[in-house]
Amino acid sequence: MASKYCKHDKSREWYNRAVKVIPSGIYGHLGPAEGLWIPTTSWPFFSERAEASYFWDVDGNKYIDYMCAYGPNVLGYNDPDVNGAAIEQAAKENCTTTPSYKMVELAELMVDTVASADWAFFAKNGNDVTQAAIMCARYYTHKKKIIFVNGFYHGVSPWTQKLDYPGVIPEDVANNLYIDWNDINALKQVIAENEGEIAAFIATPYLHGNFADNVLPADGYWQQVRKICTENNIVLIIDDVRAGFRLDLAGSDHYYGFEADLICFCKAIANGWNISCLCGKDFLKSSMSGLSYTGSYWMSAIPFAAGIACINKMKKLNTPAMFREKGIKITEGLKAAAENNGFDLVVSGEPALFYLRIANDDSLFIHQDWVQEMVHRGIFVTSHHNHFINASLTDEDIKRTCEIADDAFKTVRKNHPECF
Amino acid sequence: MTDAKTLAYINMYAVLGTLENLCALDENARAILTNKKPISICFDVKDGPAATITFKNGRCRMEDGVGPCDIRIPFSSCEKFNGMIDGTVMPIPSKGFTHIGFLLKQFTKLTDLLTAYMRPDPADLKDKRFFDISTSLMFYTIAVAIAQIGNQDEIGKFSAHNMVDGDILMSIKDGPKATICVRNHHLITVKKATDSPRALMEFSTIELARQLFDGQVNSVACIGEGKITMGGMISMIDNMNRILDLVGLYLA
Repeated sequence: MASKYCKHDKSREWYNRAVKVIPSGIYGHLGPAEGLWIPTTSWPFFSERAEASYFWDVDGNKYIDYMCAYGPNVLGYNDPDVNGAAIEQAAKENCTTTPSYKMVELAELMVDTVASADWAFFAKNGNDVTQAAIMCARYYTHKKKIIFVNGFYHGVSPWTQKLDYPGVIPEDVANNLYIDWNDINALKQVIAENEGEIAAFIATPYLHGNFADNVLPADGYWQQVRKICTENNIVLIIDDVRAGFRLDLAGSDHYYGFEADLICFCKAIANGWNISCLCGKDFLKSSMSGLSYTGSYWMSAIPFAAGIACINKMKKLNTPAMFREKGIKITEGLKAAAENNGFDLVVSGEPALFYLRIANDDSLFIHQDWVQEMVHRGIFVTSHHNHFINASLTDEDIKRTCEIADDAFKTVRKNHPECF
Repeated sequence: MTDAKTLAYINMYAVLGTLENLCALDENARAILTNKKPISICFDVKDGPAATITFKNGRCRMEDGVGPCDIRIPFSSCEKFNGMIDGTVMPIPSKGFTHIGFLLKQFTKLTDLLTAYMRPDPADLKDKRFFDISTSLMFYTIAVAIAQIGNQDEIGKFSAHNMVDGDILMSIKDGPKATICVRNHHLITVKKATDSPRALMEFSTIELARQLFDGQVNSVACIGEGKITMGGMISMIDNMNRILDLVGLYLA
């Protein structure tokens, strides 16, 4: 098939302006450095508009977007129901001296929706609620140490970062303990070695880290973790910021058959309107109440209204089932395209958040080459992060994606004769 | 945030080790050694690094450890060795008093020349030849310092611990190249390109490399601008760059 190669002249012009007034131009995961856009010349840097599963960059190129703003796009960009609720709320009030009653409505909806939730606490970003969860666990237990799973990502607070990260000092991470995923013996050992000192175990529902194939929980893993945490008075925190509502509207702990003590949501709550939420069990409610923890915009009404509309629509559509089905369809199509061209495309993680890796070499050069050929042709995927499905993704989008993938594989095959 | 032992390893392999490249790149350095008999100097630091530098036919070569040598200079501590490098400690040989003239004349001239390139007068950098040699020497020094920090510094070791095995190609386009070899979280720098990198990082021009070394431009912005190219096993680059952040602290 013929594919138009995207050009990015205007993106570059905007970037050149950006670097003069913004540190690194675009910082964080949406930027070319942390986003790992290899080579950067193949990627758009700035967008102009978005609709459903697509966005258009400032050069007018259209992309089928499998990153979904790294998660927040769950129903489709500019969803009319969610945006309609937000606009209606905006006409009434947003950031006010006393919060809107919409906060109560959304809290009730969260508690009704999330199986393990007895209460809901709202903030803005995922990091706000992982931080809240850790503070709550420490306040409740009066202990310092936190167990992490190697390969974790829980935000950007210093305690979530690593010893060698810029701006982090050893004291920031002095109370962090690290174990491998799916390793119950390691969990038992670290608890024994730090008896009476551990406040919490924090993990994502499955290992969806970057740079590596994603790994699902082993049979019975979470049930054993739950039991061990309860026996040792360790608060079990699930960071569902990324996977939340994509596997199960009752929470990813529910999906894997256990109950977290605290569970963090963000990306999929309000289809891009800025809100995050920590849900918890009743026994932690008083501790949460005692924290000195808030923000200027955490009780703004527009995201509450958007969240109510979004969650209700996700329930109506049964989006987790939809994401699984679409995820399986797209990944099977991509694998077939790879196989047709002699590539070994490894798909890992949950289909709703599939992770891709071409295994023909151990350096990832071939994988990066294929990803950039995809982006060049208008399919926005990324090299070393899981992808996201949104509800507006059509069968036609999936079909086109697979056709383009085949074309991209053909080019990569031509570029890498040494592999064949 | 820095420690004397790591600094001693940097001073030995990354600073004195760059004499190899100085002699290769600069005819003035070679001229200092012209018509001189081959001679070797061993620097032996208690609880620290040891290396033997041989000057022969206008060339310089450093080998790890205490080897056969004409002059041997022991140091009772890393701090003392570091003091010699920054000029506050006078080295006293335990062997080779008859060769003391080389140490006081030719070797001192070479290290002074190296200092001129490594801490240049801004006016000298306007000369393209000087600029290229100075920047190339800085490149090699930094590349070797990465390995020393990854092996010795506590935070550097943490970064190295997160690196998978393989070779990282670090280069300036159309300029010097080095390979950081990672094996079981131990780092070795080889001052030439590998044929099979598992990851690579390339600076687009020698001028850009200089600006980066001097802290005049931001590396993250340069990645966005396409002036720094990365590829392959990016987690290796990511961790190497965390070590690279520490290089400036030690070489300041």
